[in-house]
Amino acid sequence: MSKSFRFDTLGLHAGFTPDERHGSRAVPIHQTTSYMFENTEHAAALYNLEVGGHLYTRISNPTIAVLENRLAAMEGGVSAVAVATGMSAVFLAVTAIASQGDHIVASSQMYGGNINLFEHTLSRFGITTSFVNPTDHTAIANAIQPNTKMVFGEVIGNPGLEVMDVAAVAEIAHAAGVPLMIDATLNTPYLMQPIHHGANVVIHSLTKWIGGHGIAMGGIIIDGGNFNWGQNDRFPTLTQPHFAFQGVNLWEEFGPSAFAMRVRSEGMYNIGPTLSPTNAFHILQGIETLGMRMDRHLSNTAELIAFLTAHEDVAWVNHPSLPNHPCHDVAMRQMPKGAGSIVTMGVKGGREASQVFIENVQLASHLANVGDARTLVIHPGSTTHSHISATAMKAAGLTDDLIRISVGLEDIKDIKEDFDRALKMARKSIMSKGA
Amino acid sequence: MYVTVHDQNIFVSTGGRAFNPDAPVLLLIHGSGQSHLTWLLQARFFANRGWSVVAPDFPAHGLSEGKPINSIPEMADWCHDLLETLKVDQVTAVGHSQGGLVTLELASRYPKKVSSVGLIALGLTIGVNPALIDMADNNEMSAFDAMLSWGHGRDGKFHDHPMPGNSHVNLGKRIMADNPAGTLSADLRACAAYQDGAEAASKITQPAMIILAKDDQMTPWKQGKAMADAIPHARTITIADAGHMLPIERGDEVNQALRELLEEQKAK
Repeated sequence: MSKSFRFDTLGLHAGFTPDERHGSRAVPIHQTTSYMFENTEHAAALYNLEVGGHLYTRISNPTIAVLENRLAAMEGGVSAVAVATGMSAVFLAVTAIASQGDHIVASSQMYGGNINLFEHTLSRFGITTSFVNPTDHTAIANAIQPNTKMVFGEVIGNPGLEVMDVAAVAEIAHAAGVPLMIDATLNTPYLMQPIHHGANVVIHSLTKWIGGHGIAMGGIIIDGGNFNWGQNDRFPTLTQPHFAFQGVNLWEEFGPSAFAMRVRSEGMYNIGPTLSPTNAFHILQGIETLGMRMDRHLSNTAELIAFLTAHEDVAWVNHPSLPNHPCHDVAMRQMPKGAGSIVTMGVKGGREASQVFIENVQLASHLANVGDARTLVIHPGSTTHSHISATAMKAAGLTDDLIRISVGLEDIKDIKEDFDRALKMARKSIMSKGA
Repeated sequence: MYVTVHDQNIFVSTGGRAFNPDAPVLLLIHGSGQSHLTWLLQARFFANRGWSVVAPDFPAHGLSEGKPINSIPEMADWCHDLLETLKVDQVTAVGHSQGGLVTLELASRYPKKVSSVGLIALGLTIGVNPALIDMADNNEMSAFDAMLSWGHGRDGKFHDHPMPGNSHVNLGKRIMADNPAGTLSADLRACAAYQDGAEAASKITQPAMIILAKDDQMTPWKQGKAMADAIPHARTITIADAGHMLPIERGDEVNQALRELLEEQKAK
């Protein structure tokens, strides 16, 4: 009988074989830096990519490997490398194929940390980036140069909430002989699996919905295995002899998992942003309930949007599920379950009113994160995106009054009551100053 | 490395080491719809232990160009011609599944070319359900899914893999999907048509190592045991709790068994 396990089943079981010696049903935390070699030959074989196994936790670890296998399974990828944070995942993924003198086409509508990495850090190492609106397909095609190594973007932009048509952008990238790399943090594999739409590498900050509890940092790079790295000469880090491992040609010897092998065999060896095994365990606990939690995130989001849209003190509400959102059709086609649980809004009275609102919510938490089980609010213009230029801020759709809400799992009635109280406080504050 | 066989550009994995025809040669023959990546855990392992590894992609598989070869005997002839091209006089031939049928033919028809054989996860015939061939013709992705589901033991089905981070099922599916459309169908038809395994097995006088999986749903263990009984000088190793994709699923144990065979040949 043919059997492919489904999403929620994979979230509970994929990547883990219960321990034969002790019978542990839950994934054990292998809180160790290193592993006993059977003999000198075994040690050498591990160091030379000849056999499976673990040699040093900076490179791989049994608990982390379960997380990697599980998310590779849930995203439809062939291999994954988990790292300390989402930002380190982006850095390792990009530098696996981009070197000095290379070029990237990236979305202008991204998380501030991503924009800064491309604009200010990678540029110091000679990797330049052209930022384009991810919904402008002509601009994406025109921005690709002979030295371009990838198109990079987010499915749901943060915090502008523009939605990339992944299949269409993948087609443009592939026609030019480059892969599409996607930061899919805001959609999670539950809402959309970008690899099935043509993306080639998927990155997540595991700190967000995938963990869901706000207690553990983590990131992951998932290799779709669906890009022919040997089709042109743009990717020498994969198709030419490796500087180590006896000059292995990763594309020839590892095929579809060549990209992940490069990330591990260079990024983890030479840079080493290792995920803590304990954090991997915490994140695995989150993954076990990802599907159920996302359903609640989505239903709460839908109800909160309806509440805010009708509220007299709210100037505007933005979410891809709203029919007037410019990417509504793409969002609904790509993510039929829902377009995520980030909502942005402005309070009548502008930036000052928005700030008063944030300072007066009591249930919602004012902090720099998204995807927590708890409802979160923040003013990105003065926090998460404050380090990007005014031009980039405008391009990212960041208005002065924008509040980013990450809708949590609380009883929606309590969230609405909290927001209603804070909105009234904002109105009162503005009116008192006006008077 | 790339070589020209029958006027086609053929990729041969040498396990990351330069090919040396003077070293003992290990020929690794992949199965239906697969590629040299079947031998992910064997090619580098043996190449770094003194064997000259030759793990080709059959035409229309992996990185090789061309069209699929339509019968098991023709595949054996093609392997023979590859070895001639490489100026290799004698090899240890190891085949997985369909590659095992090719190994039976190669070893029985070119006995001077093959000093010993390794046969992994097969029987004297490989029964192919016509529904699977139909699926391969009309909905190849479903055929891949079915084969990968049947082809793995518990660990593989749940995406566990000896190489950290790899998904057995998804990696296997991608390897199959990277072959040109129609390749799997041609391979399955070749397997289904091959009925000469018993005759070939009876002619194998070389030392043979048979490696079988107890939970193999593609080529059940009993059929593998019947094949082992039909080969005069066969030793059989059965690996418990494993499925058809033994070379990847249980690479260490497969390598240990093959190494025993290879070391004996080297000693001669």
